[in-house]
Amino acid sequence: MEVNWPDWLGFDWLDLSWLELPWIDTNWFHDYWYGLLLLGFFWGVLVFTMVGALTAVYVYVERKVSARIQGRLGPMETGPHGLLQTLVDVVKLAVKEDVRPAAADALAFRLAPLLVVVPAVMAFVVVPFGVPMVIRDLNVGILYFLAVPSVTGVGLLLAGWASYDNYSFLGGLRASAQFISYEIPRTLSVVTVVMLTGSLSSARLIEAQADTTWFVLLLPLSFVIYVVTTLAEVNRVPFDIPEAESELVAGFHTEYSGFRWSLFFLGEYASLTTASAFAVALFFGGGLGPVLPPVVWFVLKTAVIIFFAVVLRFTLPRFRQDQLMALAWKYFLPLSLVNLLLAGLVMKAVF
Amino acid sequence: MLDSDVQIALFAAFGGVAVLAALAAVLTRFLLRSIVAFGAFLTAIAGQFYLLAADFVALIQIFVYVGGVVVLILFALMLSAVGEKHPLAVSEHRGLGAVVAYAVGGWLVWAAFGEDLPEAGEVPGETVAFLGRAFLDQQLVAFEVIGIILLAAVVTALVIVRGERL
Amino acid sequence: MTLVLVFSGLLFAIGTYGVLTRRNAITLLISVEILMNAANLNFVAFSRLWEPELMTGQVFALVGISIAACEAAVGLALILAVFRRFGTTDVGRIDFLRG
Repeated sequence: MEVNWPDWLGFDWLDLSWLELPWIDTNWFHDYWYGLLLLGFFWGVLVFTMVGALTAVYVYVERKVSARIQGRLGPMETGPHGLLQTLVDVVKLAVKEDVRPAAADALAFRLAPLLVVVPAVMAFVVVPFGVPMVIRDLNVGILYFLAVPSVTGVGLLLAGWASYDNYSFLGGLRASAQFISYEIPRTLSVVTVVMLTGSLSSARLIEAQADTTWFVLLLPLSFVIYVVTTLAEVNRVPFDIPEAESELVAGFHTEYSGFRWSLFFLGEYASLTTASAFAVALFFGGGLGPVLPPVVWFVLKTAVIIFFAVVLRFTLPRFRQDQLMALAWKYFLPLSLVNLLLAGLVMKAVF
Repeated sequence: MLDSDVQIALFAAFGGVAVLAALAAVLTRFLLRSIVAFGAFLTAIAGQFYLLAADFVALIQIFVYVGGVVVLILFALMLSAVGEKHPLAVSEHRGLGAVVAYAVGGWLVWAAFGEDLPEAGEVPGETVAFLGRAFLDQQLVAFEVIGIILLAAVVTALVIVRGERL
Repeated sequence: MTLVLVFSGLLFAIGTYGVLTRRNAITLLISVEILMNAANLNFVAFSRLWEPELMTGQVFALVGISIAACEAAVGLALILAVFRRFGTTDVGRIDFLRG
């Protein structure tokens, strides 16, 4: 069966020619529906592997940096300088017994970790790694990036509820209250960028910054709002109240163990990684930069932002729940509205 | 409307998921299951929107419905469900309800086969630009009305929840 | 096109059944949302039939989504208020006026 995709579906991303693989006739994939299926599968596996690998690196870096901050050595035993420690941990988690509380709702208990991981990984699809290189350049890419991870809120709440445990319950409530509160100023801060770009496509975003300059210079306030709200949304310190060890044991994932627990862990790190990568695309010109190839620039810039998040984690104290909600609704929401208005006025005056 | 076999197959698959999930949401006697099925239903509908060349609407569906409304409903469940482990009560008029639902469904499906519809037009690729123009030009009233309704809803919800007791 | 109409008809029927037979306020709300989604599906589909470049149908689907969100917010606020007053979300047991 030959497939005739209409233009608006934009399936030209399936074009693999930029990979320049001499031994594969890439056109073959386009002509058959199972070719398309195969390609979809290929991209799925690629993205998931990439996220997994990034998370492993991330965990290692975080352990080492935290150790440095606290005057320790961190993992040293497994492999040179403990490089293999994360890998060993993954194996340990994967083979660990999966415990489920007897009172838990089986369906929701199993579904919740998936709802946390899958959206975070899916968001990778629209991240522009190179200057033209993005896995799928949707013409509503930026909205996609905001919309798909918002499903995570359901996962957090479901995890808390399904565990049938007071700590989990409170953690879940806190997590998703925080999640949906910070979603609003975050979206509004991205809207200013969209106003400048005049498009929701993530590839166009980079082109627009190539034409002018990094948007962080034009919209510094948006950047600040974006970073703070993103940290809040992925439950990082100083906003990690949902899993505050001293109050709630481990928050919404108290009852989870083994592989399911590691899915939550993966989800948290994956969403932080995607959010940082998208921060680079939104405000730091993505892969734009002299000499080095775009992908390298992109990874470097993302690494800097992630490093910043790690350092924050081990240097700041935690907020209190009511302070956190007050911060979202009484300060960040008005601030982002004013920012939106100002950006609009300035743009009207300049252009 | 749907331009190729693959699209029709995908559309039907999403439709099947939507119908099954909706049935589950309506029939199950456990509230949490009902909400989870509702979430699946909404996602399937978003998929159908996407196949009907409404990519923006599809993403808004996920953003507002799955990320917003479902979370709200879960909140309401948590704040209100007391012995949630018991199955829910169902109305005694189930037979009558089924008859009415069959009648409505049968009539709608019959109507679907009845009409001669005009050919589907070409949809502009950049839906967002056209939507924006529509909202601020032809449909400005709708846009303003949404704004007012949203404001009214926020204020009402706050008054109801925080106001004095009945 | 017929396919779209068939699906939305089915979903509407399911929603109708839910509205008529459920007694829990939250499931009632879910049923109403199913009805609205069936309508939205038709809006989006018909948007392509008449003057697709005006996007009238999609605009109304977006309006419908916003109104559904408002409805959910107000409805759930009501449910919470009712729950505090009566200790139940079963609409059949809210019998304030029954002596």
